[in-house]
Amino acid sequence: MVWLPVLVPALGGVLVLLLRGRRTALGPAAGTVAVLTAGVGLWVAATEATGSWTWGAGMDLGLAAEGLSRLMVVLVPTIAAAVAVYAAGHLADDPALARLLAMILGFVAAMELLVLAADFLTLLVAWELVGAASWILIGHEWRDAERPRSAREAFVTTRFGDLGLYVASGAVFALTGGFFFSDLEGVDDPVLLGVVAGGVLLAAAAKSAQFPFSPWLFSAMAGPTPVSALLHSATMVAAGAYLLARLQPFLQPVPWFAPAVIGIGLVTALAGGLVALAQQDFKRALAGSTSAQYGLMLVAIGAGFTGAAAGQLTAHAAFKSLLFLGAGVALHAGGTLDLSKLRLGRALPRVATLFGVGALALAAVPPLGGAFTKETILAAAFHAGVWVGAGVAVAGFLSALYAGRLHLLAYGPGDPEVRDGPPRRAEMGAMAFLAALSLGLGLLWLPGGDRIIERVADGLLAEGARWELVLSLGMLVVALGLLAVWWRRGTLVSLGLPDRLRGFVAGWWGLPTAARAVVVEPVVGTSRGLSWFDWRAVDRVVRAVAAFARALSGALRRAVEPVVDGFVRLVAGGTLASAEVSRTIDDEGVDGAVEGVAEGIGVAGARSRRLQTGMSHHYYTMLVIGTVVAMIVAALWR
Amino acid sequence: MLTVAVFVPLAAAVALLALPKRREAWARPTAIAVSLVPLAVMVIAWIRFQLGSGFQLVESVPWIPALGITYKVGIDGLSLPLAAMSALLFTISMIYPADLRGKARQYFAAFLFLEAISLGVFLSLDLILFFVFWDLSLVGMYFLIGIWGHGDAQRSALKFFLYTLVGSLALLLGILGIYLSTPDRTFDMVEIIRTNPVPATGLASTLIFLALGLGFAVKTPLAPFHTWLPPAHVDAPAPASTILAGVLLKMGTYGFIRLSLQMMPETFQRFAFPLGVLAVISILYGALVAMAQTSLKRLIAYTSVNHMGYVILGVAAAGAMIGPESARSLALTGATIEMVAHGLITGALFLISGSILARGETYEIGAFGGLAARSPKLAGFTMLAAFASLGLPGLAGFVAEFQIFAGTLGVYPWLAGVGLLGIVITAALFLRMIQQVFLGELPPRWEGWRDLGRAEVVALVPILAFVVIIGVVPAWLVDVIDTLSRNLVGS
Repeated sequence: MVWLPVLVPALGGVLVLLLRGRRTALGPAAGTVAVLTAGVGLWVAATEATGSWTWGAGMDLGLAAEGLSRLMVVLVPTIAAAVAVYAAGHLADDPALARLLAMILGFVAAMELLVLAADFLTLLVAWELVGAASWILIGHEWRDAERPRSAREAFVTTRFGDLGLYVASGAVFALTGGFFFSDLEGVDDPVLLGVVAGGVLLAAAAKSAQFPFSPWLFSAMAGPTPVSALLHSATMVAAGAYLLARLQPFLQPVPWFAPAVIGIGLVTALAGGLVALAQQDFKRALAGSTSAQYGLMLVAIGAGFTGAAAGQLTAHAAFKSLLFLGAGVALHAGGTLDLSKLRLGRALPRVATLFGVGALALAAVPPLGGAFTKETILAAAFHAGVWVGAGVAVAGFLSALYAGRLHLLAYGPGDPEVRDGPPRRAEMGAMAFLAALSLGLGLLWLPGGDRIIERVADGLLAEGARWELVLSLGMLVVALGLLAVWWRRGTLVSLGLPDRLRGFVAGWWGLPTAARAVVVEPVVGTSRGLSWFDWRAVDRVVRAVAAFARALSGALRRAVEPVVDGFVRLVAGGTLASAEVSRTIDDEGVDGAVEGVAEGIGVAGARSRRLQTGMSHHYYTMLVIGTVVAMIVAALWR
Repeated sequence: MLTVAVFVPLAAAVALLALPKRREAWARPTAIAVSLVPLAVMVIAWIRFQLGSGFQLVESVPWIPALGITYKVGIDGLSLPLAAMSALLFTISMIYPADLRGKARQYFAAFLFLEAISLGVFLSLDLILFFVFWDLSLVGMYFLIGIWGHGDAQRSALKFFLYTLVGSLALLLGILGIYLSTPDRTFDMVEIIRTNPVPATGLASTLIFLALGLGFAVKTPLAPFHTWLPPAHVDAPAPASTILAGVLLKMGTYGFIRLSLQMMPETFQRFAFPLGVLAVISILYGALVAMAQTSLKRLIAYTSVNHMGYVILGVAAAGAMIGPESARSLALTGATIEMVAHGLITGALFLISGSILARGETYEIGAFGGLAARSPKLAGFTMLAAFASLGLPGLAGFVAEFQIFAGTLGVYPWLAGVGLLGIVITAALFLRMIQQVFLGELPPRWEGWRDLGRAEVVALVPILAFVVIIGVVPAWLVDVIDTLSRNLVGS
């Protein structure tokens, strides 16, 4: 039964492919499958089901709906349902819509497997399948050669992170003789446990687009907007933070684990926040924000409050998918993702309102749920240290700034040319659902909200102080003021910064260029160099040896040939001559047989002559036979 | 029964040559039908195989008793999967369409001959018998490349023959060394594996080990003994490439386990680490050189060097002196599964490259683009095979590579860590290949590109089906191999 959340979307994807002739049925079918998945997910979570599948020889794939898995197994298909419905409307003209929807469901199946995994083997299987699904989805429009290239960049970057899980699996096996998470409990080997922690952190950082892996999210933008919406919210990127939260109890004995997680998270939250603020591309700004938001979750996990991270993950899933769907509508309506050319607020007031809900949640304005979870993160950070808290406060300030800037630039008042008709009903419905979800999470502000998170996410929340809330509200006011200043001066796009500086920050602080210079080009260069070396050096040695052997066999031939060849000539010549004689004698009879035999022998003679002339492998064969005989004789002699 | 698997194809090969020329058209169906016999034998053997009880279904006839030479065949958890995989690949290769150059009888006779020989290598339990089959495999492949190849086929075939023959010579010396160490002068492999007659240390054992190692390293091939491989593959006809990569390369890795590891485990321990280093070099070197290739077939050929590196890494870890038994056994099981997986996956990739050559008359990756639009089946099969080769879970390669690395990490953590980088490089190069050949814009010259034909689909589906089955439900295969691995590292 625990397999149902995996099997339902997987088989549902096949079903959608089979329905590809009936385009209008695709959206409802995919949506229904996703909702059904959420239903079975809820059931599995409620019953805390477990199960396993054996690969033989102690390799067991275990599934368990326990702890944080219970929340994720429902969250993933819930968001996916909205995205699938939206995609069916948004891309109604795409001839490959069925493939896209089927792959979205496949993506969900892989992610459900990931969150249900109870051991490293299952985890790694799902982890890589999620990556492969993302490759197909990002490269959806494969006829444009640029998109598969971006998909490959994204896949290869995250696969580098996957190596961490291979390493962790090996270390866990060496430690416990198995792969199960639960085997790690009470393990007392700081070195190997450190290896596990390092591997997990590498994998999580790559998947969750943390520093220095963040730029792969830019490449992922090559995919259709619904794919981005799903990838950034509940699948793929969410996997890293989920995994760290899930394994935090086992890994927290490693002394450097918490500081490292906090450090990576904080750096990404701040750097990514500035990227989001400086970006002029709608989707890339959202991508910068995604890295930053997951950075905040990492801080909470490092501080030991996984409940706070899980809460933020849930709220983020709802509002970030909503924001991406809004970006898709803007792209269709405005024909561009350039933030300096949109301002669609007057043309699309309802979309602007829905997008506004997402932006407010991202900015952490109470009483939205996003604000509540952001407060729990801040509290967790202050528990870890005053500087960590201060850093998170600044990151929160940044997110308020870029959320406001995004909304003003994308859906603020303005008069651009609107190309498309009004958004389709499916698009509006999906956005409304996600907005309602974001608003509904505001209920967490009610008394007892914190305990609900702790129970559902199976992790702790930090005790927050009243002044932290005051600090946050103060930050919001300052952010609002700053936005007003930019708005009045007309510098919302440029932020009053020189273009080069802003471009550098917006381009993820030059990380893609650095990665190309430090990793990609050296690897490609080494690859070319080795390829040259392989032929020019390695094979040259081989050829030199062969030349030597040939010289040797030539010498051998010169020594032996006169004798053998002479003999062959003698036989062939003799036979031919006798045939000639018999023909002259019997010139009336058609002595074909004799002629044939003679010719045959002549040919055989010629062939055996050829044997002596340079086919050196025959010499080797003789050499082998000779050696065998010699050795056997030697053996018998003893 | 196993004897049938060897001698039926051999007899059929002779019979095919005697077939009159006007019956040329019978050659293919006859050959395919005959090749089903060893396949059936392997299926029956699999069913009758009992987990965990050494060599089984042994058949033995005295041959040259004076020299301790017997005709002896049998199977265990190592040879059964390899022989079964080989039988499957041979049938598939004969189904796959090839340019027969009007010599159908000879072509299929050569294939059946090579099938008999290859099965003989895996099934032999006598060192001389093993060596005879081993050497004859070169002859079969030499003719397949030389006669039905393209490009500079003669030269490539000769290079293949000479290079691997030098390897054979080294192997022969090693075998005789083992023979001379046996107290009662026997070539019986079962007996030698049981008694391990070669002393653990000393010059003799070192020389024997190195001689065997050279022979197997050439055949496998391990870098830097691999340069015969790319030209042989590039100029060989596609089905022959499939056999070369799928079956003949496995003889090298099989030898490492059967002779080097099983017959002289104590000497192996001394050399396990250097062998592991060589394996990691092969992994990275093969992957990096593959990435620079512009020819589809050379690219696949170099990834074979990379994959054989994984196998040898697992074997080296299994034979190490250090590390927990469970980890070493895991690595060895993984290495054996990798042999089967690589045989199937690379076999499929080479067949596919043959289909591409037949349509485009070039292997140059840069000449293609956007072919998915014209040939969705070809694109789909290639992607499946490429993803399997780069080790995607759910497909056969992952099961093997996961076990190899998870096991090796407990033995040689640094070697495993460095070797893992190969997984990223192969991902990059296969995705780039797919992108350049199948995605993007379709160049006008390929407007008339055809999708896979019936015979091609019929041949590829069973291989890829096994790739998926092993990837999802590998227990039936893992359990067979694992009984051997546990015994082997435990002793």
